[in-house]
Amino acid sequence: MFKKILLATSGAPSTFGAARVAFDMAKRYGAEVVVFNVMGVPTKAFSQVVNDVRTGEEIEVDDEYRAWVEEELKSTFEKQIESVEYAKIVTTTGVPSREILRAARAEDADLIVMGASSGDSSAYRKGYPGSTLQRVAKAARCPVMTVHRETASYWGGFGNIVFATDFSKQAENAFKFALNSAKELGCDLTLFHALDISGKVLDQNDIEDKLIAARARIRETYGPLMGDFKDFDIEVWEGVPYVEIVKIARERSADLIVLAHHSRELDPELASIGSTLEQVILRAGCPVVSVSKPDKV
Amino acid sequence: MPEGKFCNKTPINTEEQLKATLGDKGGKQYYEEMNQLDVDSDKLWASIQKTMKSRTKTWLEICAHCGLCAESCFLYQVNGRVPEQVPSYKIQSTLGVMVKKKGKVDNAFMQMCMETAWSKCTCCNRCGMYCPLGIDMGVMFSYLRGLLYSQGFVPWELKIGSGMHRVYRAQMDVTTEDWVETCEWMAEENEEDWPGLEIPVDKVGADIMYTCNAREPKHYPEDIAEAAILFHVAGENWTVPSEGWEQTSLSMFAGDWECCKDNVLNVYAALERLKPKRAIGTECGHAHRATVIEGPYWAGRPDGQPPVPYIHYVEWLAEALRTGKLKIDPTKRIKEPVTLQDSCNYVRNQGLKDVTREILSYIVEPGYFVEMAPNKEHNYCCGGGGGFNGIGKYREQRNVALRKKMEQILDTGCKLVIAPCHNCWDAIRDLEEEYKIGIRWSFLKPLVIGMLDVPKHLLPPEE
Repeated sequence: MFKKILLATSGAPSTFGAARVAFDMAKRYGAEVVVFNVMGVPTKAFSQVVNDVRTGEEIEVDDEYRAWVEEELKSTFEKQIESVEYAKIVTTTGVPSREILRAARAEDADLIVMGASSGDSSAYRKGYPGSTLQRVAKAARCPVMTVHRETASYWGGFGNIVFATDFSKQAENAFKFALNSAKELGCDLTLFHALDISGKVLDQNDIEDKLIAARARIRETYGPLMGDFKDFDIEVWEGVPYVEIVKIARERSADLIVLAHHSRELDPELASIGSTLEQVILRAGCPVVSVSKPDKV
Repeated sequence: MPEGKFCNKTPINTEEQLKATLGDKGGKQYYEEMNQLDVDSDKLWASIQKTMKSRTKTWLEICAHCGLCAESCFLYQVNGRVPEQVPSYKIQSTLGVMVKKKGKVDNAFMQMCMETAWSKCTCCNRCGMYCPLGIDMGVMFSYLRGLLYSQGFVPWELKIGSGMHRVYRAQMDVTTEDWVETCEWMAEENEEDWPGLEIPVDKVGADIMYTCNAREPKHYPEDIAEAAILFHVAGENWTVPSEGWEQTSLSMFAGDWECCKDNVLNVYAALERLKPKRAIGTECGHAHRATVIEGPYWAGRPDGQPPVPYIHYVEWLAEALRTGKLKIDPTKRIKEPVTLQDSCNYVRNQGLKDVTREILSYIVEPGYFVEMAPNKEHNYCCGGGGGFNGIGKYREQRNVALRKKMEQILDTGCKLVIAPCHNCWDAIRDLEEEYKIGIRWSFLKPLVIGMLDVPKHLLPPEE
């Protein structure tokens, strides 16, 4: 199911968690890792001069610089590259989100793995934490896995998957991915819905009725799709969705959260905060996979 | 006649040469070689005699050195108003002297001419409006650039730029396959949000053939997607050519006349092959100048027109809004002070000043549009025109040049600048990076898409 993993990395420590997960998965499931790095963002009208993604400095990309970046990446991930059967380094220049999408398409990647944000190491002025992720997650044909905070106990395998649904169309794709992963990797699967009661004062009976209805809806929606897969349970909790998703993941010791990405908003100022997905990514103690399109699930 | 490996009188014609020249970091060796480059005076003089027509001759002769052009030049204004930046001085001391000496000039003179032609003039043609005799220094500098190019005295990046056009027929290394693939990719990426969205390639007999700037497929393919979305919503029958899609001409900035002709013929060949009713170019000023305003003459078209009516993106957009093909949701109009950058290349060169303002009347809440002063055909160059943006050697001078636009924008008090030209967009971005005045900048396409009133049947089915 994961034959080719595209690890999008700036090479900065903020992406080390993503790298660890990508390589561990590749090792465990026999996948190829494409270590993909966008060296710089084009500037100054022509493409010879770019702003280095990490330092923000203006650089001229030539063979020497390219070789230097590759060498840096190779030594940064040296042990990990040696630990897997297939790995290659691909570098390019361009707008990171665009180039990640281009590479995922060109390589026909099954999964993109990346950090949530470039963190403090990014001196590139127009970047803001998560802008690349937002754009990639929206448009990628394959699932996008984000690793922001790692659990210390992570050993590279998945045992418990939490699938969070809001019953949207995209959630169907996310569900398929979660189910296939659970089947293939032999995991327990929790189907979860958070009843959004944030900012509302509701009658308790009303809440309980809604919880019952949501449980029934999960059963009706996903039950028939389960086939012979039995290791699943259904939970519906009320609260603020991102908090509840993170809570159940913690309670179930989940090592993977799967949910849909369906924000249409790409304006960085509007989209950077506020979405459930983003809050889950920032808070969860395990990798989070967002699925938008049905192609690679 | 020593010619360098990179710096010589021969244009870049092969991919190999191109990559080798690109590999010369920052043009270090290139500029060193330039110091040794001989001037072929006979060839230069022969070229002047053959190509310098009566208009240029007359202009050089009748210039009264009155200095009325001085204040018209933004580079004069931002460079301490030194006499060396007076347009008439700039052209008389370069082209004027070259003609007077019948081409018998030396390397140092040619290097001075190069510096003047590419770092002291953006060919914005503003001086021509203020000259009592109608002398246009921008036009003459374009001519001078051609002479310099033929002798090998051209900035490194522009030698590469015209080489790109010669090798790939695009200002960047985008091949036909890359281009067609990008169109498919963009249609695919957006088909979910815009059901039925297509980017038809090589459709014969469509109403519109769309052409763009190679930077779009290379780095910003969403611009192509945005064009597709707007054509889709407007219900246009349109297409893009697989060959002849690239409308820009760095060769025009480099002074590579032969290449200019080749490029524009490539675009016109697509028009003749696909027979659209008309052609529309992207939001780019110099691309329009190269393909629509000057191109017909390079191509030797007797009527001075492209093979089919060829309009700038702003003209199509205004028409689509005017005729109701595109409808704006009034609640989504821009409700913050916003200003507009007039691109020299389609405003001063073609008079498209009112059509952009008509677009703003639809997309900006009344009272929020603030004009720069001066504006329309009197507006100043963005600061990076004529290839200035891309030349590393003159980066410092370019950054100084941006100050005029910075002052103009600051005076409007606006934080949002609409720049329907790639080059202006770049210059304004660089201006923000350099001076950090806290502004945002945008093309028209993404703004309009954000405020469209889309008919229900074009939206994805309700979930």
